[in-house]
Amino acid sequence: MDEKIKQALIDIVGENNYTDSLIDMVSYSCDASEYSQRPSCGVWVETAELVSNILKFANREHIPVVPRGAGTGLTGTATPVDEAIVLDLSHMNKIIRISIEDRLAIVQPGVVYADLEKALAHYGFFFPPDPASGTVCTLGGNVATNAGGVKGAKYGTTRDYVLGLQVVLPDGRIMRTGSRTMKSVSGYDLTKLFVGSEGTLGVITEIILKINPKTTAASTSMATFDNLEDAGRAVSQVMYSGIIPSVLEILGRDTIMAINQNTDLDLPEVDAILLAETDGYTTGETDFQMGKVIEVFNKNNARVVKKAKSEKEASELWVARKSAYAVLSRIKTHVVLEDVTVPMAKIADLLKGIKAISEKHNIMIATYGHAGDGNLHPQFVYDGYDPEQVKKKKAASAELFQLTIDLGGTLTGEHGIGLQKAPFMTMEHDPAAMDVMRGIKRLLDPNNILNPGKMALDKKNGN
Amino acid sequence: METKYDFERKYRVQILQCSRCGFCQAVCPVFGATLRPALNARGKMLLLKEVMDGKVQLNDELIETMFQCTTCAACAESCPSGVNVPDIIKQVRKDMVNIGSCHPAFKGMNEVLKNHTNIYAEDDPEDFERERNKKAEYVYFIGCVGSYREDEATLETLDLLDRLNVDYTLIDEVCCSGVLEDVGYDMNEDLVRKNMDMIMATGAKTVITGCPYCSRTFNNKPQYAELKDKGIKVLHITQFLKDFDFGVTTDKLVTYHDPCDLGRHCGIYEEPREIIRKIAPNFVELRHNRVDSLCCGAGGGVRGAYAKNSIAMARRRLEEVEEVGAEVVLTECNSCVHNLANAKLRKQKFKISNISQFVNELMEEAE
Ligand SMILES: Cc1cc2nc3c(=O)[nH]c(=O)nc-3n(C[C@H](O)[C@H](O)[C@H](O)COP(=O)(O)OP(=O)(O)OC[C@H]3O[C@@H](n4cnc5c(N)ncnc54)[C@H](O)[C@@H]3O)c2cc1C
Ligand code: SF4
Ligand code: SF4
Repeated sequence: MDEKIKQALIDIVGENNYTDSLIDMVSYSCDASEYSQRPSCGVWVETAELVSNILKFANREHIPVVPRGAGTGLTGTATPVDEAIVLDLSHMNKIIRISIEDRLAIVQPGVVYADLEKALAHYGFFFPPDPASGTVCTLGGNVATNAGGVKGAKYGTTRDYVLGLQVVLPDGRIMRTGSRTMKSVSGYDLTKLFVGSEGTLGVITEIILKINPKTTAASTSMATFDNLEDAGRAVSQVMYSGIIPSVLEILGRDTIMAINQNTDLDLPEVDAILLAETDGYTTGETDFQMGKVIEVFNKNNARVVKKAKSEKEASELWVARKSAYAVLSRIKTHVVLEDVTVPMAKIADLLKGIKAISEKHNIMIATYGHAGDGNLHPQFVYDGYDPEQVKKKKAASAELFQLTIDLGGTLTGEHGIGLQKAPFMTMEHDPAAMDVMRGIKRLLDPNNILNPGKMALDKKNGN
Repeated sequence: METKYDFERKYRVQILQCSRCGFCQAVCPVFGATLRPALNARGKMLLLKEVMDGKVQLNDELIETMFQCTTCAACAESCPSGVNVPDIIKQVRKDMVNIGSCHPAFKGMNEVLKNHTNIYAEDDPEDFERERNKKAEYVYFIGCVGSYREDEATLETLDLLDRLNVDYTLIDEVCCSGVLEDVGYDMNEDLVRKNMDMIMATGAKTVITGCPYCSRTFNNKPQYAELKDKGIKVLHITQFLKDFDFGVTTDKLVTYHDPCDLGRHCGIYEEPREIIRKIAPNFVELRHNRVDSLCCGAGGGVRGAYAKNSIAMARRRLEEVEEVGAEVVLTECNSCVHNLANAKLRKQKFKISNISQFVNELMEEAE
């Protein structure tokens, strides 16, 4: 680390909030993706002013800055570039205000998702996106990646709840966007521009979130299907049956087999298992909705349909779905969790296509995910130390992305582009859209200091 | 390629298995107190992977993270990939000690136990006003913290055993030395021998330990296997007390802190609760309880080596006590009691105590 730069940073954040020690640099070298690159230093900040001072300095000196929350991103969005300063926002972890009267919460970006959940539960409210990484990931990270979860079909994703932000721009200016109101059409929607921007346009230092009252009742059921087409049809029919389940998850055959081989759950070995939950305020209401769902399951040749009679039975039905990630993570040394998303009616086609790709390249791809919003998680399981398998994995991923786009889908439903999918951006977006995105990046960050190399926004990366 | 270190020979696959998901950050007490990813389980695994890849040297630069782990096993419990970080860390510490990279406090502990009978190097043991080394049905084994740091609590526990007419004896116990395995060294065979000989000399068929760590050491370490071979059972005091009726209750709001050594490491969650149910109908669980319990910050040598962070971890645990508004937090581990009591702020008015001590006080009041 250049001594002058080091001193300048220490002058801004203080000695105790600066690090270039080996152990920190290694821990900041990656997120939950397979990419890694050591930064040159890291800083811990607690205020927007400090963030602003760092960005002013970095912008003047053309030093890359990589914002970081909990580092649970799956696509290398928080993996640094060479010579970067890692801006660790996890110390900005205060819930500034919960305003039930206004139905909103104002938080700093480093607040962990689960901590907000806990605080809101006290008032009978919740913040619905519910990513599976909720006990660890930060709300800043959630906004920057537009995180979603199992309840996406009914409740949407982070984007649907962000009312306003405080953002520090790459040149150090501090900007407020949006408002504390439930609606606003005042000017361009700058708030949403930053949702899913992966730390490439500005550093989020405050977030105003809309919150929902918590439902108090739920019904849960599970159905098995011998035939994938039947399961696929059931999914789309549920979604136009007039009710919207709060959860509609799918487990594909490979995932079911892997769970059976590695646990004693003894699941029926079928093409697909669907798990549904309906929520509301009385069991009468949720049972009524579930009745409709089960009707659709039966009409589409479900072999076995089970409806939970108690909370305990409901959690038993969840076990298989909840164990999927962990089971698949233990089989080989490497896993990559994809999140391709297709129009709802194409779920069966996507699953069939994935099976063909897996067989063609002789690589394990087990799939499960959020059928209710078309967002599946094909999980690649392989040995990353074997160059042959790495090559196969790479080829298979590229085909998966092509298949998804051909089905009218999108590369990513919730994890973001980062480094991993940057090379495929032009597969999904036409040249005009790429130009506009790159133009926005240049306008806000002409020196390309904020999280460079991600999302195919600069020439070096992508196409 | 020839591997240099035992940790790699034993745990290579597990270390590679770490998927970097970061889920351990939610539970690691060291991360919770410092918010420094380098000190979290994931940070440790990333470093070890780089050591195996030859990109990082195992040397003094790694002491700060490798020796800053309470071995609480919260990460192992919640790890989707099944990585047993505390086991790996204990082996790495041994490898580091072998090459001369060790935290001075840990090195000190090993030296102390070469020349003294306990980790505090105190040569004048408290006699607890009781005859020692007599013939009895039970041996009560106190442990170092109970003998030298929480001796008043120990006295109360012994009073309780008397009240319950238990036929027990104390022995001239020495450190069980299990902790050495956690801080990079091997157990001290001399100390092990002394303890076993003294226990056997009493003719007792059951050892009751006040310290869950000693109980774990006696039950699980092969060095103490002779006890089992001779038909001697080792029980933690909560296992022993659960069948007694005490005939006293409190109306105070009581909560319970699961010590890592008793809970996650031995699977003993219900016995302490059974006892508490009898004496405190007004019971409330802490937010993190049973297998999800939050470490008090004392374990794995961290209290000695990183006192400030150790106290910060205890403070986080005590915040959970405040959260539920309990008037008494019970546990049954002198190490936890000691660290939690040291961390307690003046404004925190609740009482921190071992269950056995608390029961004894209730019985005393009722007399
Ligand atoms: C096992 C596992 C399961 C997961 N499940 C889900 C899931 O169900 N749904 C889902 O959506 N995601 C999921 N994820 C992915 C990940 O948890 C989310 O992307 C999460 O939103 C990332 O949050 P973070 O705090 O870890 O951010 P990081 O990984 O630290 O950062 C993510 C991106 O946000 C940027 N960033 C972070 N904070 C700020 C800020 N304050 N200002 C500007 N930019 C910022 C970073 O630069 C980076 O580009 C999962 C991950 C894992 C490992
Ligand atoms: S929870 Fe397990 S797999 Fe995930 S980062 Fe921690 S040690 Fe690695
Ligand atoms: S054993 Fe406990 S202290 Fe050590 S890394 Fe795991 S969670 Fe952290």
